[in-house]
Amino acid sequence: MESLSNVDVSDEEEEITADIVLKTLQTAWQNECLAPEILPHNNDMVECMLGQIQHMERNINKLPKTDIRASIHKMELSRIKFIICNYLRTRLNKIEKYCISILNDERQRMETGTNYLTVGEFKYAQEYLLNMETHLKNVVLDKMPGNMKTLEMNKMAVYPNLQTHVFLKANSTISGVVLEDLVGDQDEEIDLEEGSQHILQYKPIADLVKNGKVQLV
Amino acid sequence: MDPYEIEFIGENRIVSVIPNFSYDKIYLICGEFGPFRAGLPLNVPLWLAIMLKQKQKCRVVPPDWMDVEALENIKEEEKRSRFFTKMPNEHYMVEAKLILGVAAEDVPNAAEIKTIIKDIWDIRMSKLRTSMDALMKSGGSYGRLDHLTMMEINSVKPLLPSAMDELYRIKMMTKHRTPTANLNSSTISQSGSSQNI
Repeated sequence: MESLSNVDVSDEEEEITADIVLKTLQTAWQNECLAPEILPHNNDMVECMLGQIQHMERNINKLPKTDIRASIHKMELSRIKFIICNYLRTRLNKIEKYCISILNDERQRMETGTNYLTVGEFKYAQEYLLNMETHLKNVVLDKMPGNMKTLEMNKMAVYPNLQTHVFLKANSTISGVVLEDLVGDQDEEIDLEEGSQHILQYKPIADLVKNGKVQLV
Repeated sequence: MDPYEIEFIGENRIVSVIPNFSYDKIYLICGEFGPFRAGLPLNVPLWLAIMLKQKQKCRVVPPDWMDVEALENIKEEEKRSRFFTKMPNEHYMVEAKLILGVAAEDVPNAAEIKTIIKDIWDIRMSKLRTSMDALMKSGGSYGRLDHLTMMEINSVKPLLPSAMDELYRIKMMTKHRTPTANLNSSTISQSGSSQNI
């Protein structure tokens, strides 16, 4: 089987190796599982890895069934598929749960071109909301008196709790993370040293998660 | 996260095995491993080591730290120190569980090692509970947890972050209430809405 170490990701216009793609995906998966809100998508990486998997599967089929390499490769592919499936499923769960608020935020983000959802995910969110609306109308609202028929979707919005506490590990040294102090109105500033681990509120470090300076654990 | 997911992440660690077969290099997505030469040790990811062991195609070389003397030292150090000491390995519990579970016969003094690792785990968990208690009592919304491994952090995840969230909520409510302490009826609805942030 030929080497698979060089993969070209067209968007970044530089050669990155398959194992870096895998590491990025694993980090993205971990962060997505642990962050309260939805994070920017990693579609290039997912697509790239899915391509790799297909390529690998074709090669495995050429190997004799008893070959030990076949079972090793299959095992690795199952592990990678698990990460990808779990990652995408976690995102869909968040989309369903926070559908209205995510769609509202996403429309604003699309104007600046910093969208978090992939095209498919955005479509899914819109359809999910539409289906929910139709369902609620069919089941209850249509049978209500005229003045009670309106459905105010925005009042139903569920927001992720950004104040929740999370565990994190700093990938590089970051100084001046501001922690809000509620009692004394004295905000505290802390430094995160490289490799150190902390528990703190998600909100002050949300951007650091998105730009990869910290990793949720 | 599920403990099995932590185990899954821990399975990416590299360990050393001695295969009993010979094969060329194998090119996996996570890197290239090999060549396999019967009787010569080589490095592979833990999941691969476990898989080969289950097929009885290799012996696992116990990691350096999986040694009675080294572990006794770690245990003493852990007892002496007020803080958490650095573990030999970010996933020591996962590695120990998998290697001792599947390849116990490859590790000298496996039973003894199992007991010491369990002791170390227990000492650390009791320390963790004490410090969590102290953190909550001081009303903190921030804590530093150096040298804690992922599995240890995960074991307090169902409790600590939600306790801190709850504390935060209570603080928010008192904060909203103090300026208008006399107007009880109106503040209740106010604090009620601040809960849904």
